[in-house]
Amino acid sequence: MTAVKNALFKAKIEPKDAVVVYDIGCSANAINFLNVCGVAALHGRSIPFSVGVKMANPNLTVIAQGGEGGVVTEGANHLIHAAQRNDDITVLINNNFVFGLTTGQASAATPKGLKTRSTPEGNPFEPLSAVDLALVSGAGFVARTYVFNVERTADIIYQAICYKGFSLVEIIQPCVVWTKELVKQEGIWVEKPVGNYKELLGKNNVWGILYKKQQLKN
Amino acid sequence: MMSAGETLSKALNRLGFYTLMYPEYPSRIRGGDNHVLVVFSKEKHLAPVEKIDLLLAFGKENYERHLGEIREIREIGERKGFEAGEIGITKIAEELGNPLVANTAGLGFIFKVLGFEHQMLEEQIKEEFSGKEEILKLNLEAARRGYEVGEVGGVRGFGEVGGRREVVNYSGNEAMVEGILKAGCGFAAIYPMTPINSILTMLSRSKVTVFRPEDEIAGMLAALGASYAGKRAMVATSGGGFSLMVEGLGMAGMAEIPIVCIVGQRTGPSTGMATFSSQADLNFVINAGQGEFPRIVLAPGDIGECQRLGKEAFYLAEKYQDPVILLTDKYLAESRFSEDERELRISEEQEGQEGQVGLENYERYRFTESGVSPRAFPGQTAFLTNSYEHDERGFSCEEAENRRKMMEKRGRKLVGLSGGFEPHFAKASRGKGFDFNLPMLVGWGSTKEIILDFLKGYPDYNFLHIWRPWPFPKEAVEILKKSKKIVVIEGNYSGQMADIIERFTFRKVKRVLRDDGRPFFKEELEDKLLR
Repeated sequence: MTAVKNALFKAKIEPKDAVVVYDIGCSANAINFLNVCGVAALHGRSIPFSVGVKMANPNLTVIAQGGEGGVVTEGANHLIHAAQRNDDITVLINNNFVFGLTTGQASAATPKGLKTRSTPEGNPFEPLSAVDLALVSGAGFVARTYVFNVERTADIIYQAICYKGFSLVEIIQPCVVWTKELVKQEGIWVEKPVGNYKELLGKNNVWGILYKKQQLKN
Repeated sequence: MMSAGETLSKALNRLGFYTLMYPEYPSRIRGGDNHVLVVFSKEKHLAPVEKIDLLLAFGKENYERHLGEIREIREIGERKGFEAGEIGITKIAEELGNPLVANTAGLGFIFKVLGFEHQMLEEQIKEEFSGKEEILKLNLEAARRGYEVGEVGGVRGFGEVGGRREVVNYSGNEAMVEGILKAGCGFAAIYPMTPINSILTMLSRSKVTVFRPEDEIAGMLAALGASYAGKRAMVATSGGGFSLMVEGLGMAGMAEIPIVCIVGQRTGPSTGMATFSSQADLNFVINAGQGEFPRIVLAPGDIGECQRLGKEAFYLAEKYQDPVILLTDKYLAESRFSEDERELRISEEQEGQEGQVGLENYERYRFTESGVSPRAFPGQTAFLTNSYEHDERGFSCEEAENRRKMMEKRGRKLVGLSGGFEPHFAKASRGKGFDFNLPMLVGWGSTKEIILDFLKGYPDYNFLHIWRPWPFPKEAVEILKKSKKIVVIEGNYSGQMADIIERFTFRKVKRVLRDDGRPFFKEELEDKLLR
């Protein structure tokens, strides 16, 4: 949240001109703490609401924000299509690998083998990656960051907001209650976006601005 | 087939007749039993009929299928049924080298059999193909040759033309779009679905920003986003798509975002009979969504109301910051109707909306007497919009007292709503109001014209046309309570409007129902009401 605040400040966007559309879930509680035009939408539906806002008033900076439950599980459909259409919005995914607010069930992004309240024997499925989904759907700006590096995260969000076209930032943010064992994450920071997105597919431990296509013309 | 029916209707309008064109087609792109029924009369208010006076069928199979619909033949040698191949219509198209013009040749044939001059048909064809010289020439030639062949059937003497009037011709969807455009609608999210597809087509050619979403969930949410950001916004769908929109509908109620939802009913449940009509989604749209929130349901009954309510829906949504549902059906949406041009002039285009500006300590959900709070748009000030229960500022809030006050605030909004119905007095009362000893017919939505057609022959009935089923009109309750006998006519299996009326009036009502995908036909309604 601090990172989002810093990014908006750095981009010199006034609170009245920034619309942040929240999913329903842990991350959505930010609505009560961030001074912008905040909208608490529906679970899984922050992206389509944002798309409508941006189409109606292109002068607004529009951010759709949600957990991996909302954006990759319930509403993955919208992620794919917004990326395909290159809708000029920024999607922030707070990935804690689990449904936190409903007491810790497995989501589509839960690592394979992880024991959760809905997978006592361990999650049998390979996780779905928001980054991979966005890349293969045609997203122009795709990044992954780690929440404990606030400075870098803020910079990445700043660049995502400034990017004209669809941008996605996955923020790895393990839950201190339900996924304690995942809190310590190790990743490799990428200093320069790769040219061919296919090199990124299946790599969950790379952080930074991973891919950046040429922007939309004004 | 649809366009041939349209051309014929419009040519008949040029002759001064009122027309009704009712199409039936199976749920596939081409082929099958695809037919249109065209009814014309010097009088207004027309109902589809079971028995026809003239049949032109393409193909032996279709000919056999519809032969039984021809009204009794009185004179020896009189012929009312024709097959296109047999009378040489298909041959004309072959000779002209384009199978598609067989329809036009058929229209020429029909015009001749009915005893009309060729000229009006020609004028109509010219209008339809203007700017496409080659195709126009071909069609004019086909119509002319078909007209010549028309001698075969013998002139039947419908030739008495009711004098030229300016009669215009619209489908329900076309009239609705006129209203939408006059309302200054700025955003429409529409996922294709019968019977609202032509609304998507027409709006795509207009200045309205049109979004074809990935599904109806996204469509509803995007429309809410656009409305929130300051555009007059709408969605259009049928029952299946509306099912997906319901969660968003509730958000509109809670977050107080204006939204207009066109729901074109078709035969359910589930995929049902996708290209057939229904009035079975009334309960659904009135009750859709978890929790309780105010909403308005409008059900236009003719093209005039499609225009008027198509516009008014946006005004009401904005005034009360609530969802407004425009409930039509396949029969009204895709059939073509006619009306005097002067009756269809709706008022000027609505001006753009402005949010509240210059507000200090702005509160999106401020408690007010009317229940409606001042609305601002993003870009004007920073404020919160919330699908959670919230306080006046929009912060999530679970306190009991705040909750009670918020429910009351939202609940107050529609309390003052009046009107919502159109009374038609039995002839005997000479316009002086209702004679409550005479039976009271009640209809809503697309049954209006059909019931008015019935009243032409049987004027000793009162008739209440409900164009706003929800909130159910208060004044109508009083009228119904006084009526000796109430007969509710509607196109569903259980009698949903009848249930609503019984609930509000504590009166038992008679139900005249039809639920087979077709509108009420003239003969059927007479049979059911007079029996």
